[in-house]
Amino acid sequence: MHLDPFELHRPTTVEEAVGLAHDLAGRTDFVAGGTDLLPNYKMHLNVRPHLIALEDIPELRGRSLARIGAMERLADIESDAALARVYPGLADAVGEVATPLVRSSGTVGGNLLVETRCFFFNQSLFWRSSLGYCLKADGDKCHVVPQKERCYATFSGDVAPVLLVLDAEVEVAGPSGRRRIPLAALYDATGDGIRRLTLAPGELLVAVHLPEGARGRRARYKKLRVRPSYDFPELGVAVAGRWDAGRVASMHLAVGGVETYPRRFDELTAPLEGCALSDTAVRGLAEAVMRKLRPVHNTFLLPDYRRRMVEVYVRRAIAEAREGAAE
Amino acid sequence: MPSRDALSFRLNGHPVELACEPARVLLDLLREDLRLTGTKRGCDLGTCGCCAVLVDGRPTLSCLTLARLVEGRAVDTIEGITPAQGLSPVQRAFVEHGATQCGFCTPGFIVTATALLRANPSPSRAEIERAISGNLCRCTGYAKIIEAIRAAAGAD
Ligand SMILES: Cc1cc2nc3c(=O)[nH]c(=O)nc-3n(C[C@H](O)[C@H](O)[C@H](O)COP(=O)(O)OP(=O)(O)OC[C@H]3O[C@@H](n4cnc5c(N)ncnc54)[C@H](O)[C@@H]3O)c2cc1C
Ligand code: SF4
Ligand code: FES
Ligand code: FES
Repeated sequence: MHLDPFELHRPTTVEEAVGLAHDLAGRTDFVAGGTDLLPNYKMHLNVRPHLIALEDIPELRGRSLARIGAMERLADIESDAALARVYPGLADAVGEVATPLVRSSGTVGGNLLVETRCFFFNQSLFWRSSLGYCLKADGDKCHVVPQKERCYATFSGDVAPVLLVLDAEVEVAGPSGRRRIPLAALYDATGDGIRRLTLAPGELLVAVHLPEGARGRRARYKKLRVRPSYDFPELGVAVAGRWDAGRVASMHLAVGGVETYPRRFDELTAPLEGCALSDTAVRGLAEAVMRKLRPVHNTFLLPDYRRRMVEVYVRRAIAEAREGAAE
Repeated sequence: MPSRDALSFRLNGHPVELACEPARVLLDLLREDLRLTGTKRGCDLGTCGCCAVLVDGRPTLSCLTLARLVEGRAVDTIEGITPAQGLSPVQRAFVEHGATQCGFCTPGFIVTATALLRANPSPSRAEIERAISGNLCRCTGYAKIIEAIRAAAGAD
């Protein structure tokens, strides 16, 4: 498989990268580890004539308990013992992304911005040309829900749900300067599988910031996938909690792999604060989360199964987070 | 100044310089331009691990690496890992333990296992299984491969 020709740019500062992206708006993509972008390019999905490599920008690197540069490789985050000790949920999630060979190149920034996925989209040009293209690339209808003019492609990054429940923020650089926003605000909850981010064209993700408060929370991530060593999530549930004398001091829950963006459920978890979390309460929460999610048939497993697994995985994630907290 | 399309890096210990289009991936550069066909093209999409090489010692999927981004780096392929005479300890263990059948996946496994043993000379069975979980083999069923890596690590 060959890539269509493109120009490759190698800026060495964030400002230079952002300037290039601004000048080439609509005709360029950033490339970090390339493990998501290049397979899509090889399948001729939304290719652009310019690529801006983020490889040579030192500011996008560096790891500490407070900040992880966007270009940090997943394999390096995974083997960072200090990070794993303080953020076990992050270690869970990073270690479940793709395969070790993919994690060797894949970055955390690329993972947060990974392209949404769909059975009808992640296919070769030949395959797609046979069926007819869809809204997300080259076409004008959706094969999953044909009666709507909306794309249901699934957000399939494993790291975002955990960073959401840890209240991570992301630092974004654009032509008009820098801003720091909660990770949740990076995703467009009112968009769809195509308009999935709130980033303006040419905006660059610089780093993930973890607040002081995240360190006391015990988070866990549970992932449903077909082949345990390979596949993208069919569902990913992250839970973070603090317990105080058997009562919930705080609890956050986020789900990825089901909708077009990773979603936090504060409205369901906030009322649990101060409660002793009985099995009935956990079951009630798990069922409430399940009722809010509507998977469509665009991945391998059937939507009804994925939906029912939401309830199971929420219960498992809470049980494990609680065990960790009791240590 | 090198011309826009000249790429130079160290390949198996030796400096190389050649013309390279920006849209070329390292796998194509190795197999088609440098005629090093030990590195295999399986899926070409990151799923099979047949194309693994070492870049600055790190196991890397050459099918998903833009060749121009290895400028100035050290790339080691299966040809470089193979000693001038005979076989490396990992290769010998693969032969002795029947860990290779059709052999198509073998270069990728040798590269991955070599990197693993350099970083962790005595891995547990679970660590071996995890390390090779991005390499697919359609023939062996993996048991012999795991045995071979354990033997190369001196575990039995
Ligand atoms: C076989 C295989 C299996 C996979 N399985 C999984 C899986 O189980 N779970 C999972 O989460 N992912 C999976 N992936 C997808 C991918 O490998 C990971 O999500 C990885 O973390 C992507 O990071 P990257 O650096 O390679 O991103 P890239 O491919 O370089 O970029 C991804 C996207 O983000 C944009 N981007 C990257 N960095 C920035 C930045 N700093 N600022 C602005 N935009 C940026 C790019 O323009 C591109 O659109 C898999 C990939 C393969 C090939
Ligand atoms: S959900 Fe519909 S529009 Fe979106 S990628 Fe799939 S088929 Fe295309
Ligand atoms: S050819 Fe590169 S992973 Fe299959
Ligand atoms: S020996 Fe044939 S694929 Fe592994």
